[in-house]
Amino acid sequence: MEISNLPISPSIRSKLLSKGYTNLSSLSSISPSFLAQELSVKLEEAVEVLRAVSDTTTSKNAHIPNGIIPGAVTAWDMLSEEQMQRHISTGCEDLDAILGGGIHCKEVTEVGGVPGIGKTQLGIQLAVNVQIPVEYGGLGGKAVYIDTEGSFMAERAYQIAEGCIYDILDKFPSNSREFLSCKERLQVNNFLAGIFYFRICSYTEQIAVTNYLENFLTEHRDVNLVIIDSVTFHFRQDFDDLAQRTRVLGGLSLRLMKLSKMFNLAVVLLNQVTTKFTDGSFQLTLALGDSWSHSCTNRIILHWNGNERCAYIEKSPSVPSASAPYLVTGKGIRGINSNFKRARIM
Amino acid sequence: MLSSSTSGDADSIPQHSRDQFAPIPIPIPIPIPVRSLLPHSKLSLGCPVLSRLLSGGLPVGTLTEISGESATGKSQLCLQLLLSSLLPPCLGGLASSSLLILPSLLPFSSLLKRLSRLPSPLHPSPSPLDHIFVASAHSPDHLFMLLYQADRLFQSHKLRLVVVDSIAAIFRSEFDNNLGDLKTRTAMFFKVAAKLKEQAYRFGAVAVLTNQVVDVMGPEMAADVGNNHHTGPALLSSGRTVAPAMGLSWANCVNTRIFLSRNDEVAAVGVNGEDMTVCTRRRMEVVFAPHVPRSSCEFVIRKDGVFGLEIDRQ
Repeated sequence: MEISNLPISPSIRSKLLSKGYTNLSSLSSISPSFLAQELSVKLEEAVEVLRAVSDTTTSKNAHIPNGIIPGAVTAWDMLSEEQMQRHISTGCEDLDAILGGGIHCKEVTEVGGVPGIGKTQLGIQLAVNVQIPVEYGGLGGKAVYIDTEGSFMAERAYQIAEGCIYDILDKFPSNSREFLSCKERLQVNNFLAGIFYFRICSYTEQIAVTNYLENFLTEHRDVNLVIIDSVTFHFRQDFDDLAQRTRVLGGLSLRLMKLSKMFNLAVVLLNQVTTKFTDGSFQLTLALGDSWSHSCTNRIILHWNGNERCAYIEKSPSVPSASAPYLVTGKGIRGINSNFKRARIM
Repeated sequence: MLSSSTSGDADSIPQHSRDQFAPIPIPIPIPIPVRSLLPHSKLSLGCPVLSRLLSGGLPVGTLTEISGESATGKSQLCLQLLLSSLLPPCLGGLASSSLLILPSLLPFSSLLKRLSRLPSPLHPSPSPLDHIFVASAHSPDHLFMLLYQADRLFQSHKLRLVVVDSIAAIFRSEFDNNLGDLKTRTAMFFKVAAKLKEQAYRFGAVAVLTNQVVDVMGPEMAADVGNNHHTGPALLSSGRTVAPAMGLSWANCVNTRIFLSRNDEVAAVGVNGEDMTVCTRRRMEVVFAPHVPRSSCEFVIRKDGVFGLEIDRQ
């Protein structure tokens, strides 16, 4: 049992085992406050345990044997790696729940919806949430935001970062020395500095940035999220040869998938909707055609349900199709239940 | 000048000419620090209440659409924007000249009359009309060409506002209804929008378009088309459910969508039950925008401009 190898005090170890936490993967996506509650220990001790877990897993991954074929990994290793997978919270608990914790790292997720449904808002929210420090249950990483449409507004990112910090401090009111250094890092300006923003104006620039990303990510290893908002816009102009468009898009998605696995980051592509004539009527569908729809690992559709906004998981290899309502508030993307604070509803 | 060879052989083109056509290398992309984008300049709408609805006004670097039925105040608001851009930034303007593109220059004299009636923002100053360029575009291709030619205006004449009134009129009847033409039309939407957005971004300008509306089937009929067509809460004008023209693909092209509506309401009824005073209530609604929530406010159109009354958030 891997817990027995953790450098933690025996009393905490026995508490973990008695509560049923027998291996490291069961502790991979738990927040410190939840663990503290479970074990009836102080928050700082729970943070210590989780830090020990992450230290052990990073050193463990460095020694995965190559096997007979270089680059090959056993299925068992893949399974334990998958169980350690980190997630980026979307800000809405219901949506996080149906996603299995949040947006998955090492995978490409496509998010599509009609104009005004909140795609860019979700993108900015993810770019902020990826930066939530590890001590507060986040990834503590940075984000690359590639803006193709001009919808990214820095003042909105400011509001969303402010809202995120406000909610964190609300949820974790601890004033101990451990958290003070963490709290100092919770500044809006730090969050804004953690977003690498690229503005591109044509499809050739879009391809150039994607090609450049590998170099950029090698220099900035703390990036955990790449967002392209939107991947579609420049590809809906006159591409006279649709076959060429399919080839270019295919190359783009392959490169992004490779980057997500190589650098352990989440890639989120925002897409537009269009109408397609199927079964004798026009239906809403995501743009860029049928072959593109195979390119992404996960697919989330944002849509209106009456006057309510809803997110629907259309495609995912790990979670079943499900729907969850969400709100776009002054503080960012939130769930229906969390909106009892005084927040402007959009 | 190239030699008069008609064979089209590349080797017949002299080397120095060939070098002129070498592909331009794309520079390494550099990330922009997000903090440097604050505060985001905005163009005031010429009325403090309306500007507050948009948290200061129309953001620089974005494309805004103003849609509504005829006679809801779209063109009047555009004229107000043209004058507002002349103001210095401390008063909500862009200290710039502006370009107005119309489908035809026929109503030019009435346009001049309306402009001259609006209070000139600069005192004492040369006539604001010296800083407003007007052009007419009779087709989408022509519009695209005009925008290309406008590049030099952006650089040399400090152009910072482009208004197209209306985009629907320029696109109308240019394309037939067959599938091939529809695809070309959609591609043209994105081409025009991308050009406007690129100019807005590169030169720190604002791009505004007006659009017409079409009737849509109400939600009761939605079952026939499948409720997939739901693009948000319904927009009402003159008691009918309407939607901005040019469809879903065009809606994907703009950053901000503003909807102007008017509804005639009975304000008072006479004692005998027959004399009714009907008043026109006008509403400006922000349908979607990258920096403000859905909200609306009432406004009035007076001789001296368009003014908002109060703000209520939905």
